[in-house]
Amino acid sequence: MARTIMVERDGTVSSFAFKKVDRSKLYGRKRRLPLDPDGETCTRAALTDDGSLILLQGMVAQGYFDDGGCWIPHGDLVGVDADGEVVPERPSTLGRPVPLEGPFEPRVLLDVRVQSVYALEAEEIDDALVADLSAGRIFRLPFSYRSDYKQDDAFLVAGMDDGLYALVGQSVEPEWCSPQELPVIEDADDDLDDELDFEMF
Amino acid sequence: MRKMHLTNAAGRDATVDFVGLKTAKGPRLGLPDRDVRFRRYLAAAEGGLHDGLVERLGDEEYGEALVNGDPEVDLEAVGRAIGDTNQVYLSAEGDVLHAPPEVVEVILGPDGQEQERRDPKDEPANVNEELPIRWSKRRIPRPELIRRFVISRTLQVRHYDGLTYDYLHGMAKDLDSADEVALVGAGVTGNKPLIFQQNGTPWRAFLEGRVDGERYMLLLHLSNLELRRPAPKDEGASS
Repeated sequence: MARTIMVERDGTVSSFAFKKVDRSKLYGRKRRLPLDPDGETCTRAALTDDGSLILLQGMVAQGYFDDGGCWIPHGDLVGVDADGEVVPERPSTLGRPVPLEGPFEPRVLLDVRVQSVYALEAEEIDDALVADLSAGRIFRLPFSYRSDYKQDDAFLVAGMDDGLYALVGQSVEPEWCSPQELPVIEDADDDLDDELDFEMF
Repeated sequence: MRKMHLTNAAGRDATVDFVGLKTAKGPRLGLPDRDVRFRRYLAAAEGGLHDGLVERLGDEEYGEALVNGDPEVDLEAVGRAIGDTNQVYLSAEGDVLHAPPEVVEVILGPDGQEQERRDPKDEPANVNEELPIRWSKRRIPRPELIRRFVISRTLQVRHYDGLTYDYLHGMAKDLDSADEVALVGAGVTGNKPLIFQQNGTPWRAFLEGRVDGERYMLLLHLSNLELRRPAPKDEGASS
C-alpha cells in the first residue's frame, strides 16, 4: 500500500496520496546529444588526470574511507553535525500523523528554497483545513521521505488551480540591509549552473 | 560579489550587488571517533564489465563463473582512488574522439516523445549587460505568487554605497507597501527570462521588497516551474 502524507491539526487527522511534480512532466525537456563523425551517438567517459585510465560507466564507485584508506561500510556511518557530535536518525514522516503548524504569512514560504513539489490527493481531510487552504492560508509540517539525519519542511498550499500541493525544502535567511553599514561581501558561489532549460510562457 | 544591472519602476537603472541565499548545512555522514572522507574509487576494470566478461569467458551466462571465482575482479586495479578526471567522448565503436563531437539538441515533449532535433544555440548571460533587467508591467500580490509559482532560488540584492542604498530601499518600500512582487526580466521590454551564466537555466524572476524603518530586504525570487499539475494524458504517459 502506498504511503501517505498524514497531518494532525486540532486533533483531526487528514491524509493525502502524493505524486511528484517536475518540470519534464509539465514542459518536456531538452537533451544535448554528442555525435561521432558517423552521426552515431557518442558515449561519455572520464579520463583520469594522469591519462592512464579511461573510466566507462560501471567502473567507478564511491564510498567513505578513513585516513588509513580503509573503506567504511555504509551501515557503520552515522549523522554528524558541524561540531562532530552524533545526531539521531529521524524516521520517515510518511504514513504517520505529524503536527501541522500555521497558518503562516506568505513570506515564510518565500524564504524557503523549494526542492521538491508533490501534488496531493486528499484521502481524508478536515473540512476546516480545506476552508483554510482554499482561503490561501499555508501550513507547515516536518517532512522526511525516508529516515534520515536531516529533516525538511513541507508547506501545504492550495494552488491557483485549486489543487493541493506540498512544497518541500529548507529555509534561507536573508539579512536586513541598513544604510550605516555596507553589506558583508560573501563568496558568491550561487549554484546556478545546473543544466535545466526552460520556456515557461 | 556579483553585479546586476537593474532598473526600478520608473525605469532608472543602476548596477547593484547580489548574493545567492543558501540553506544551512545539515548533518553529514561520518563516524563519531575518526575522520572519514568521501571519495571515488575504481570498482571494476574494463575487463570486469559485462562485455569484457562475455569476451573473456565466451558465454553470456557467466553467473556460475562469478560464484566459483572472481573473474570480474582485477586485483591490480580495483580500489584505486579516482581523483580529478576530464570528460572525453567515445565513438559508437568505442574509440576516443580527438576533436569535439558535433552536438545536436533533442526536444522531448511532456510525454517523453522526441518532438524535434536542432542545432544547439548558445544563450549568453543577461543580468549584467548593457540592457538592464527591467520591471515588466506585471505585479503580483505576494500571497498569489506562492500559489502560482515554485520558488527554487532566491537572490538578495544589496547596495554598495549611499546612492544605491536609496535606490534599493525605495524599490523595496514601494513593493512592500503594496504587498506585491514585480515580474522582472531581460531584454528590451523586460520579458525575457534571466540567465546568470552562458547556457545556464533561464529563470522567471520576481522582485520582493521588505522594509523595517531604514532597513530593507530586496529579494529576487527565481522560478522555473509553475504550481500546477501535468495534463492527465502527459501525466499518464510519463509516470
